[in-house]
Amino acid sequence: MANWDNSTPIYLQLYQQIVSCIVEGYIAEGEAVPSVRKVAAEYQLNPLTVSKAYQMLQDENIVEKQRGKGLFVKTGAQELVLERERTVFLTEQWPQILEQINRLKLSMEELLDQQVGENA
Amino acid sequence: MKTLIDIKNLNKRYGDKNVVKNINLTVHAGQILGLVGPNGAGKTTCLQSLLGLIECEGTIDVMGFDPRKQRQQMLEEVTYISDVAVLPKWLSVNRALAYLQGVHSRFDIEKAREFLAKTNIDPKAKVKTLSKGMVTQLHLALILAIDAKVLVLDEPTLGLDILTRREFYTHLLEDFYSEDKCIIVTTHQIEEIEHILTDVAFIQNGSLVLAESAEEIRERFKLLSVTPEHLEHAQSLSPLYANKVMGLTTMLFDGVKREDIENLGNISSPSLADIFVGVMAKETC
Repeated sequence: MANWDNSTPIYLQLYQQIVSCIVEGYIAEGEAVPSVRKVAAEYQLNPLTVSKAYQMLQDENIVEKQRGKGLFVKTGAQELVLERERTVFLTEQWPQILEQINRLKLSMEELLDQQVGENA
Repeated sequence: MKTLIDIKNLNKRYGDKNVVKNINLTVHAGQILGLVGPNGAGKTTCLQSLLGLIECEGTIDVMGFDPRKQRQQMLEEVTYISDVAVLPKWLSVNRALAYLQGVHSRFDIEKAREFLAKTNIDPKAKVKTLSKGMVTQLHLALILAIDAKVLVLDEPTLGLDILTRREFYTHLLEDFYSEDKCIIVTTHQIEEIEHILTDVAFIQNGSLVLAESAEEIRERFKLLSVTPEHLEHAQSLSPLYANKVMGLTTMLFDGVKREDIENLGNISSPSLADIFVGVMAKETC
């Protein structure tokens, strides 16, 4: 059973979870997303909540409805989502990280050393 | 959305005791309504009135029928699991299915068999040999196989272990629910079904004290962890309750704007159980 956090509406959390699954490639392009009924039963959510998350995915062109067959991940969805996640990272998270790097007076060498150390 | 149930000014008296007071409630297709209240609040009385099982005052419309006058027609469209539901001990599972097929025109015996095949219940077994959880599953098999629009569940999972309770709701969502139907459920384990519900009604001392969609409720109520320096200010906004744990006070607010309290501490969404406790406490003050 999924653990929901209290500060964000569940449909948004579910939406984010599906987006992550697409980014990670757990749900491939052209593959079907599970039915509203299935997700509702599996996560013990009311079907309206699930529908709302699915509607968002449709509105953002990540999935598309195939008549009588359900929702499918669109071709190019992974790149679309990745591109968006990159923008979010660069505009929201990166400036904060950069600020912290400056505050800690970390040099480029130290940062790169660390990365090499991690990879070794 | 189509209205399936409409209750107006429902009152029920036992002698001079008014156990249900002026209840107004509408349930639309697609809703999963949780009727929540302490023991003796009037939940079962409400459900029994709705099903035409007891005399009461007020107007009740279930799928266009008056349950007191047109009970038989109504029961073509409505199924119910009572909190004291029992099946005869000597009855075998197969015969229970055969019996229902004989008495209910919309009972689909194949659907019931299909459902039972997913459980550990042996169709030849007698009710007395089944565990409590199995009897509930059998009940569920019997009513889910009826093509009804309204499903009423009174404490359906009482006394069942957590796995069986979860399975019960999984079946409900997977095998029964659709957008043209509605479900009314009462339970004391609200934390387990809070995300399943689309609508919530709190009942206390026979009156409805809150009846709204789950979404509206999440908008309305906020939980605030107040830091000590803002305590007085927060208190002046009249929280429903305040709870002090380890130096940090948690307050529940009803209808306060986010911007009015966001500087006083950390805001989160309360669970249905938190809101229930808060609303009940307020009403008894």
